[in-house]
Amino acid sequence: MSAVESEHDAVRSIDAGAAPTRFARGWHCLGLAEKFKDGKPHSVQAFGQKLVVFQSGNGTLNVLDAYCRHMGGDLSQGTVKGDQVACPFHDWRWGGDGRCKQIPYSRRVPLRARTAAWPTLDQDGMLFVWNDPEGHPPPADVTIPRIEGATSENWTDWVWYETEVDANCREVVDNVVDMAHFFYVHYSFPTYFKNVFEGHTATQYMRGSGRPDARPQEQDGSRAKTTGSNSVATYHGPSFMIDDLVYELDSGEAQCVLINCHYPVSADKFILQYGIIVKRSDTMSDNESEQLAAAMAEFIKLGFEQDIAIWKNKTRIDNPLLCEEDGPVYQLRRWYEQFYVDADAVRPEMTDRFEFELDTTRPVEAWQREVEDNLARKAAAAKTPAA
Amino acid sequence: MAPEDNRLTDGAPMRPVSCGQCGSRVLVRKSSWQQTSVQWNSEALRGCREHIAATSGPAAPAGLETCHALVATIRAATLNVTIEVLDDDRAG
Repeated sequence: MSAVESEHDAVRSIDAGAAPTRFARGWHCLGLAEKFKDGKPHSVQAFGQKLVVFQSGNGTLNVLDAYCRHMGGDLSQGTVKGDQVACPFHDWRWGGDGRCKQIPYSRRVPLRARTAAWPTLDQDGMLFVWNDPEGHPPPADVTIPRIEGATSENWTDWVWYETEVDANCREVVDNVVDMAHFFYVHYSFPTYFKNVFEGHTATQYMRGSGRPDARPQEQDGSRAKTTGSNSVATYHGPSFMIDDLVYELDSGEAQCVLINCHYPVSADKFILQYGIIVKRSDTMSDNESEQLAAAMAEFIKLGFEQDIAIWKNKTRIDNPLLCEEDGPVYQLRRWYEQFYVDADAVRPEMTDRFEFELDTTRPVEAWQREVEDNLARKAAAAKTPAA
Repeated sequence: MAPEDNRLTDGAPMRPVSCGQCGSRVLVRKSSWQQTSVQWNSEALRGCREHIAATSGPAAPAGLETCHALVATIRAATLNVTIEVLDDDRAG
């Protein structure tokens, strides 16, 4: 064995690295806004701490650190009083801006009576919270785009799921580049696949045909069969993906928006959420649209359950060993890194545009034939003496 | 040091290509006839007409999926064998 061979024959070691000690800068969806609008404070474990979410009398949703700066009471166990949340311990009243507004048994609020408040966004039926370890507000150009169907009567309501996953949230983000896994885990077969990373967005374009041999929802033969799909799925920041998805069914076209999002609970736990709305159409009754949304949600749930089973048993791996057929895992992680460093430490390589495209619609043989013809033409031209 | 993509370190790196339309210089790699990777930098992106058109209108958030001029350049370079196709089995 030569020296080169023996070097390449060494046992490959896994660099498991360590999960980051901070949480990503960016907008994170905490779920459907409606569930926080029942007049009670809600406890949410996120970003390694306990938060309280409550709705002010004026309708605004607020997110504060859950622990009262007075004696540490848990505000999420308190009550909403007007525009403030009242601590269950001594009734200190905290406003959505993080400032103590009133202490019923005291004439004055002491100096420094300010707690951590997170910027919020109540949009398209979802509550978003802005996390920034440096404490800066969201830049104007870092936004979550509006979802037209979410507020339209021509679309169904959200079908929404959430589940806790015992893994670091990078695992779910990795999915955006993992082509092979769509076939093996999610039974879809892309004929065109493209990733584009640029700025704070990461997009996956996918067009393809179904794998009807395996799709469980099509086994019973009574439902519409999928003949193709067209999906444009974009992460807007580190955790919120909007997937504009069109299914071509043998009975017509179904237009859907799928949300895939998460927020970290701790370095090794996150809440995975997904939501679906379906556009009502002439070829589908309202009931059918809702059934389609529910069926898709079930199907996606099944896919994620398979992912979760993998994630909770696998190791973290910072140095995946890739074959040429794999997607751009390293380039995606380079993009993802921007959310874990200070804003002024974001390097161009993290945000510069990168594209990875796989287009199988043109057969390899067609490429090869064209190259042969090209080379033959050139050779013929070289033989012909110039006039 | 951050771990590196073994395909670039053990295999072939990305190579410079200049767009036939605007001259923007990007890095390109084709692992197969059907696969293409393109690395842009900010200067190249600023010079790309299709990118400017796609990101300056009201539909800007959609972004640019593909610059067709660059695709044509890469296609021509592939057919002229000036871009290496890594798994080209014609080479044996």
